[in-house]
Amino acid sequence: MPALPLDEAGKYVAGAYVVFVVLIVIYVSIMAIKLQRIERELRELASFAEQRSDRDTSEGASNSDSSRPSEVVAVGIQGEPHPPPADAERSTRAESDV
Amino acid sequence: MYGKGLRSLSIATVAALAVGLSLVFFYAPLDADQGFIQKIFYLHVPLAIVALLGFVAGGVFAILHLRSGDSRWDAYSYVSIHMSVIFGVAVLITGSIWAKASWGHWWVWDEPTLVSFLIVFLMYATYYPFRYAIEDRDRQARYASVFAITAGAFVPLNFTAVRLAESLVHPRVFATTGGGLPGSMMLTFLVCLAAMALLWVTLVKFELTAKSASGQLKRLRRALDAPSPAAASRIAPEVR
Repeated sequence: MPALPLDEAGKYVAGAYVVFVVLIVIYVSIMAIKLQRIERELRELASFAEQRSDRDTSEGASNSDSSRPSEVVAVGIQGEPHPPPADAERSTRAESDV
Repeated sequence: MYGKGLRSLSIATVAALAVGLSLVFFYAPLDADQGFIQKIFYLHVPLAIVALLGFVAGGVFAILHLRSGDSRWDAYSYVSIHMSVIFGVAVLITGSIWAKASWGHWWVWDEPTLVSFLIVFLMYATYYPFRYAIEDRDRQARYASVFAITAGAFVPLNFTAVRLAESLVHPRVFATTGGGLPGSMMLTFLVCLAAMALLWVTLVKFELTAKSASGQLKRLRRALDAPSPAAASRIAPEVR
């Protein structure tokens, strides 16, 4: 096993390998920041979805207490505007956002 | 989808890099001509080869995108080029460090290998403003693919032209004359090349996974912003 001659040449070799490691670390750090943002947004969306779900549940419960339950529930379902059909098309485009 | 096998790939990459570095510093003999400085080549040359092959791969993915219209290939092309540009930065810096140690100058303008790599690097540096100057996403992907194919074809042409050039101040690792690398150095070099290729593939996969997660998040946000819960129920199973 040869000894490492860390003389004049050593600092250049060390410099080159350190530059490589630093670049990789910078890249991974940037990706980590992006992943943190994704995680934060996901948490926000999860809480938003939970609030919406709770609201829908409580609305459903208050509707069932009504004197004319079948009529009110029918309005609740039918009165909901349907999502635009373009939604599916937009979804496939978003997957490959770069 | 993109993240499948990322963990095992990452482990393989770390192991390959560890083995490669161990071989570089504890197995490969010192070069009789350059001495310890030659150790930079086990980093610099594999980085350059993988970066150039990555540019070509970006062009191949762009061809697949134009043929199929599938935006997944555009994402592959973009990420391949992106990763190769990062590797290109490392190539230029490590090359300059070697040049300073060996030639006494950080950069030599009359050396075809250096200048040609710089030209390729700068050409790909224009990919980002070119791509993001176009707002329409379909047009952006198409034009970026055309760029990636043209530039990807230029890379091997450029490489061949430089190899045929007369001035050969820059050392050749795979020399056809004058001996080339001895067995132990060649083994070390090939392990380092495999490790760099694995690193490139891992980082490409990593970035594609992050982009896919970001895209799925946007879909989820749109679905939840929609007034009806029906849209959310359509999207949610795909996000899990």
